[in-house]
Amino acid sequence: MKELDLEALTIGEIAPLIRKKQISPLELTRRYLDRIKTLNPTLNAYLAMMEEDAVATARRAEREISKGNYRGPLHGIPLSIKDNIATKGVTTTAGSKILADWVPDFDATVVERLKNAGAVILGKTNMHEWAKGSNSINPFYGTSYNPWDTTRIPGGSSGGSAVAVAASLCLASLGTDSAGSVRNPASLCGVVGLKPTLGRVSVFGGVPGTGGYTVNHFGILAKTVKDCALVLGLIAGHDPKDPLSADEPVPNYVKPIGSSPKGMKVGIIKGGYFDEGLTNEVRHAFDEALKMLKTLGMKTQEITIPHMDLVPALQAASTRPEANSDHDHYLRTRPRDYSPGLLYGLIAGLLIPAPVYVTAQRVRRLLCQEFDTAFESVQVIVAPTLFTPAPTIEDCNRGYIEADGKRINLADRAGNFLTRYTIPFNVTGLPTISICCGFSSSGLPIGMQISAPPFQEGRVFQVAHAYERATEWHKRTPQL
Amino acid sequence: MKDAVRKLNVEYRFNLNDQEIDRVATQAEEAALLFQPLFEVDVTGVTPLTKIDKRVKKTAAVKKGKR
Repeated sequence: MKELDLEALTIGEIAPLIRKKQISPLELTRRYLDRIKTLNPTLNAYLAMMEEDAVATARRAEREISKGNYRGPLHGIPLSIKDNIATKGVTTTAGSKILADWVPDFDATVVERLKNAGAVILGKTNMHEWAKGSNSINPFYGTSYNPWDTTRIPGGSSGGSAVAVAASLCLASLGTDSAGSVRNPASLCGVVGLKPTLGRVSVFGGVPGTGGYTVNHFGILAKTVKDCALVLGLIAGHDPKDPLSADEPVPNYVKPIGSSPKGMKVGIIKGGYFDEGLTNEVRHAFDEALKMLKTLGMKTQEITIPHMDLVPALQAASTRPEANSDHDHYLRTRPRDYSPGLLYGLIAGLLIPAPVYVTAQRVRRLLCQEFDTAFESVQVIVAPTLFTPAPTIEDCNRGYIEADGKRINLADRAGNFLTRYTIPFNVTGLPTISICCGFSSSGLPIGMQISAPPFQEGRVFQVAHAYERATEWHKRTPQL
Repeated sequence: MKDAVRKLNVEYRFNLNDQEIDRVATQAEEAALLFQPLFEVDVTGVTPLTKIDKRVKKTAAVKKGKR
């Protein structure tokens, strides 16, 4: 049996070894469970462990593989699931007090697909309350801490998932992303985060009230681009239980990985949207990343999205009424079981007139058409994932960061400023990945987004992997 | 806006105090300002977006190894 260095493991490397019986899924699972027991009290990545199930699944995987019944690249692979994705027989709280005792009697489609693939689910990960925020400071279950610096937030709302991956407490995690909740924590924790095309992955089994309908996605957090591709290939595809899921064939997402992106054009959205609040350290890392893309044979081109400045309004006008539709019952019956800030926001949402919501959906169509037009001249669009590396918990509690001699507020009229750079790809539903593109002077990860036309996840993987292979950022691990 | 919040306070039985009512009203007012520019866009003949479709038009394809 091979020696296991959990911090260095990726699915892409370990799956073939499991297949060849050189690594035991049972031993691997036990090593992760031990590491979680050691580190989770410090990091608070997991809310609930599924130890018994995990060991039983790993044992079954070992037995099946020993008999030659290998199911595929996730067979025997330890993963985790954000706690707003339903897991049969396991508490699914959505980070809320209201659902503290809810035990679903069904699995979300993605969970069902992971189980069918033979994956070992280690537990449920911590998150921002009801996924309505991006710092994962949770008043009911405690804050998840950034493994690169535990005085800092991991981002969110899938904060626990990002921490679990970054701290090697699992090999990959499923999260949800209605405003950047996969990409934001992936960026702040230095891992890869994929938000697929809207409808690419079924959202059946997502806790209502944690993402809405028009901009919500399930996504993947993993250590490498290839690992994201492997997981996506197994969870993507039409689901009759989700009327919004797309009826598009699922290609082999691993195939484009390794192909050169030479000759591709990279779009940079001009007009200042991504300059708002941008700190010098992130700007520098992003500029260096663009240079690397050029070194890889790509060309950059400025593109224009005429209605870009309306993105925050579109996001808020879409998500807030949708959230209210889901929360109405609890607002009437258990209003004081929300944290005060969330309660006030939900009540304010009740005052949004219906024409705002409908008009927003019409303007969204125009915005999507503008992105379609842009993609006639470029193959991918890139942008920083966030304007700053991870803020401290103290920054979040006081509501601003100080950088480059300026004060930058973490919330504005549009709501959460930490999601400003990620929401354009929620409003448009475009497949978008965040990968690490550098580190700040204080050793904090910085992320870059790569986006492509609808259902072109393969192209996203191709470019992201080429960048990843040309750099060493993804090989750094936090000292724990 | 405060009156609208007070009305909701009664209807939903939130038991908000005056300070909380002010806070919610301020948020609602700020949101109304945020949404105002949406109505300045000409959406004549534009139907609401409900689902993302695969693009009909092909993007400029890049063939491997060719310029």
